[in-house]
Amino acid sequence: MGLESFFQPSSVAVIGASREPGKLGYEILRNIIEAGFRGGLYPVNPKADEILGLKCYRSVKDVPFEVELAVVVVPARFVPLVMSDCAEKGVRAAVVISGGFSEIGPAGEELERQMLEIARRAGIRIIGPNCQGVISTSAGLCASWPLVRVRGHISVISQSGTIGAALGCWAAHEQIGIDKLVALGNKCDVDEIELLEYLAKDPRTKVIALYMEGVRDGRRFLEVASATAQEKPLVVLKGGRTTKGAEAVLSHTRSIAGSDAIFDLAFRRAGAIRVFDVEEMYDVCKGFASLTSPAGPNVVIVTSSGGSGILATDACEELGLNVIELPANVRHSLKEKLPPECVLRNPLDLTGSATSAMYDEAIAVISSSKEVHSIIAIIGDPMPGIAEVMAKHFHGGKTLVVVMLGGGDVELEERAKLQKMGIPIYSSPIRAARALAALTRYAEMRAERMGQNLKPQPPTNRRLGE
Amino acid sequence: MATDRKKVAEILASTRRQGRRVLLEHEAKQVLSAWGIPVARSELARDASEAVRIARELRYPVVMKIASPDIVHKSDAGGVRVGLSSELEVRQAFDEILANARAYRPNANIAGVTVQEYLPQGKEVIVGAMQDPSFGATVMFGLGGIWVEVLKDVSFRLAPLTAEDAKEMIREIKGYPVLAGLRGEPQVDLDAIADMLQKVGDLACEFSEIAELDLNPVFAFDRGKGAIAIDARMILKEGS
Repeated sequence: MGLESFFQPSSVAVIGASREPGKLGYEILRNIIEAGFRGGLYPVNPKADEILGLKCYRSVKDVPFEVELAVVVVPARFVPLVMSDCAEKGVRAAVVISGGFSEIGPAGEELERQMLEIARRAGIRIIGPNCQGVISTSAGLCASWPLVRVRGHISVISQSGTIGAALGCWAAHEQIGIDKLVALGNKCDVDEIELLEYLAKDPRTKVIALYMEGVRDGRRFLEVASATAQEKPLVVLKGGRTTKGAEAVLSHTRSIAGSDAIFDLAFRRAGAIRVFDVEEMYDVCKGFASLTSPAGPNVVIVTSSGGSGILATDACEELGLNVIELPANVRHSLKEKLPPECVLRNPLDLTGSATSAMYDEAIAVISSSKEVHSIIAIIGDPMPGIAEVMAKHFHGGKTLVVVMLGGGDVELEERAKLQKMGIPIYSSPIRAARALAALTRYAEMRAERMGQNLKPQPPTNRRLGE
Repeated sequence: MATDRKKVAEILASTRRQGRRVLLEHEAKQVLSAWGIPVARSELARDASEAVRIARELRYPVVMKIASPDIVHKSDAGGVRVGLSSELEVRQAFDEILANARAYRPNANIAGVTVQEYLPQGKEVIVGAMQDPSFGATVMFGLGGIWVEVLKDVSFRLAPLTAEDAKEMIREIKGYPVLAGLRGEPQVDLDAIADMLQKVGDLACEFSEIAELDLNPVFAFDRGKGAIAIDARMILKEGS
């Protein structure tokens, strides 16, 4: 069975719903309500009649309507029993939040095995156990915590609940939003590979963020990640880069490979975009979710702050972008339109006396040049009206990355306006450059692979003679 | 050169039977040789007279190295002598190597001394393989010496390797110009290296119980003249 029941369920039972604020069984039920879930919602708790205004049932079997998805929050020892009830009820999928399974040792492993066996026999798919739940904003479903409901185009698969939640919250805070979020937990059934396959084909997902620590089958992962990266950008953060294996290392080969070199190779071969911290992951996903894909590596930086322009230049060059010389015709037009104190180079320094109108003129001229593929606009001073100017050029065909670091109330206001219009803001030159570089690399890789696909492909793996 | 699976399996099994995970140098070379990978000819001498007999067979000069599963860094232990050209030198070297090894690690199991044919110096490269816990058989390539030890200038591929994979991983290292022929120097035998990379990958695929494998150094000679593993280290998986 597919994964649709996790993300677009017609009805949800929260098994282990609680009346006590602060308890997970309460928070999750409340988050599902507050995220605006429209389908049937049934709290299950033998000791309560009503929770948060909803009729409560003693068992999922007592619910008189169909239940598609079960969210399970009861202690581990009760979970196999709950799963039997779900099987009898005809539940299609279960998110098992409860901990106390294979992560704690043999006793927990046995419980996990029992639960899985019951689910398999009944055709119930499981996410978890020991996980922070599932979010699907387009369905108004937040079977997780904290509450995340701002819709967007980033989908997140995370082996860590907290890292997933951080991405969801940052994206909500900036009005970027997410589409789906899955905290994998022990991944006894559904794993990152199946989710990648699903999200690769999911029309709502524009970019996939994957936080992982390891995979069971590296070869299969490589295959699926490659196919996924052909469809849409796959941004990967891998934990456990530095842990040493338990075995003593005797060869150069293994000591150099460590635990990371082969993952790094796999990510490169797959065409995934590798990032090295959560903030970078967010910045890059935000870019893929909302920026125009750049047609090439040539970038022009427009700034009101000389220092920030220099930092942006360094970052761009180090990341493989081309901070080109301003084309002669661009210089000419700029000279006509801008005050004489402006420094007509790249970075184009509009200086501290820059105004929104100057940005408007400058970006209009630069955008018209065929040699320019992307523009980083650094707003270094509070500037009324800048939001309208950026909005005007944002959809003009060239990639426009906005950096705001002026501060003050004016900036907060302008920032909020831009965010409302779905225009992403970066708060430092390097963060903007990282996002732009990732977008540029991805576009190049896509173009390269398209080119290759036109030619006959040699077999990728030579089979060994048996 | 044909691959002799049976022979490889026999050598691995015999190592296991002796309760070892680390193959002695001459055993590792027998495995490689059985798999069609060129190695410097070597044999184990248990005493000085045997060393002399082997040296005569191989022809002088020879190289002698300590053979102990407990001594991985042979030079550090004073366990390597090169350019030995007479019976007297071989006998002296045998005694010195043993004495140095015992002083270096008194409790080490010592099997004897490996006597190896002397080969002219080639460009030093390293070819390795290992079983990655997530991705399985993996091959490594790099330039030898400080290039690999200090700069970690290496490339990896998942095995089995296509001919194109093997060529790519040679070109991928930063030190590639050294092999391609720098400042009018001749190019080394890149095809021979590529062939060795493929064979090592096949070996690691076929025998997943080989946990780690270093061919270090491999001498790569001028184009058309081949590449030969001078030293080899092979470690089996724990258990079984």
